[in-house]
Amino acid sequence: MSELTIDGVTIEDTFAEAFGMRATRLIVTAASRAWVRHAASSVTGFATSVIACGCEAGVERELAPRETPDGRPGVSILIFAMSTKELQKQLERRAGQCVLTCPTTAAYGGVPSEAAREWLALGSRLRYFGDGYQISKLIDGKRYWRIPVMDGEFVCEEKVGLVKSIGGGNFLILARDPPAALAAAERAVAAMRKVPSIILPFPGGVVRSGSKVGSKYKALLASTNDAYCPTLKGLTRSNLPRAAGGVLEIVIDGLDADSIRLAMREGIRAACTRGSEAGVVAISAGNYGGKLGPHHFHLKEVLA
Amino acid sequence: MKPLTFQLTAKPPCRVDASPLLPTALAGKSRNELARLRLLGWNESYPAGELFAISGEDSTQVVLEGLEGSLVRVGAGLNGGELTVVGHAGDYAGESMRRGALVVRGSAGEYVGAGMRGGTLTVSGDVGAFAGSGRAGEVHGMAGGRIVVRGSAGDRAGDRMRRGLLLVEGNVGRYCAARMVAGTAVVLGSVGTHPGYLMRRGTLLLADRAVELLPTFNDNGRHRLLAIRLLLASLAQYGPGFRRFARRVEFARWLGDLGSEGMGEVLIAQ
Repeated sequence: MSELTIDGVTIEDTFAEAFGMRATRLIVTAASRAWVRHAASSVTGFATSVIACGCEAGVERELAPRETPDGRPGVSILIFAMSTKELQKQLERRAGQCVLTCPTTAAYGGVPSEAAREWLALGSRLRYFGDGYQISKLIDGKRYWRIPVMDGEFVCEEKVGLVKSIGGGNFLILARDPPAALAAAERAVAAMRKVPSIILPFPGGVVRSGSKVGSKYKALLASTNDAYCPTLKGLTRSNLPRAAGGVLEIVIDGLDADSIRLAMREGIRAACTRGSEAGVVAISAGNYGGKLGPHHFHLKEVLA
Repeated sequence: MKPLTFQLTAKPPCRVDASPLLPTALAGKSRNELARLRLLGWNESYPAGELFAISGEDSTQVVLEGLEGSLVRVGAGLNGGELTVVGHAGDYAGESMRRGALVVRGSAGEYVGAGMRGGTLTVSGDVGAFAGSGRAGEVHGMAGGRIVVRGSAGDRAGDRMRRGLLLVEGNVGRYCAARMVAGTAVVLGSVGTHPGYLMRRGTLLLADRAVELLPTFNDNGRHRLLAIRLLLASLAQYGPGFRRFARRVEFARWLGDLGSEGMGEVLIAQ
């Protein structure tokens, strides 16, 4: 098979290995865009990796007032976890501590009922904060809870839908040096943020500490991906081309495989803009030989 | 196919229970079987064929025409399909209905939608007392579904209401939403005395600023509540009157009835 290149950037013949997750979509609205963003950054904080955060969460996109249930500015947030139980725990904690607490906010489910495989409790748990003064209201078949708070009422939907989803889609940008890798990653993230049904859970959408499974230290589940660390070239079995001096990874969680595939395509193409001239050497992907998860995104197929 | 139509041709000598005339119960029946259906009166029963001229075939849409109040329990126990009544639907129309749509083009008597659990009941004219309540001896009134009255309702509308939506575009009589347990009642016209009497929870939404509330309701101030905004937005689907009402943003909120549990709210549009 001939080598695939985009603007002189080598696309390695490998695949991203992803695994099944459980996800939900939370719609948060507030009186102004500023308060929506405060709530969203709080809900999605410390939610980069299930390795230690319990869940992976991010903003899918901002919503115009006409797109939200209550006609106010809003945001669509996706939360992913490894099990229904963990997702329920994370949703409840994050909505309770980060949305309920944020002035003027309200929270609604964003998964259409026909798509929901199961339901996660939201208002039906948070209502207890109302200490008996909470009120439920059934509107057009949906039950909402009105919880008295100091700025009026916190309104949230009783339950939100859960869908099966995919976590861990990824690709690696191998560049001449760290600044070139960062510039390419920023281009990729900007393009990928336009794709619906996905999030990029890491800070700014980019990971510098790509990991491998396991460690020489028994207590750690994951450790640095030494094969892609430029400072370990010559010391470990490096996967880096000679010209590569900086690597960044972009991890994608999505509600379905097609969305992840589309995001990867958009991201890789954006990263390769001006190609080798911009210092990008190659695009690779992280996998564990097919042992980690059933979803394999082959770079050549993604870009086909 | 034309709707299965029962045109009342002979006024029965007493009140007759029309609850067997439901779309689901009539499905698959031949014209002869339909004509032989027995409808109970006081001490005797009447074949449907003696009271009605029957026409049409589509049993998912049943039409009762020419009613003048002598039939009772029209659409009682409705559990699917659409039942249209032209004329006066009598007492207990839509009692205990669970699914489907009961459309009354005309008026109805007392206990409309009493004890209903689901579906939509629409009356283009006026209804009598106890709309959306429960029958005597029952613990609760309606526990689901929607009742839309385009005209006015009598006393005790929403009495002991447990769940669901009661919309009255015209006026209501005394004791509206009395002993309400939960649910939502909305009145766009004037409201008689004692609204919300002994209500425990639930929402009574009123346009009548002149309404006199009982002293057992406490003033909670004026509010612009998000939940009410959601509710009003959903009411807009019930016609221009409710669409206009949905533009109201500020409500005086009263909490009560403190003679009971006191967790109910009366919201008066400002």
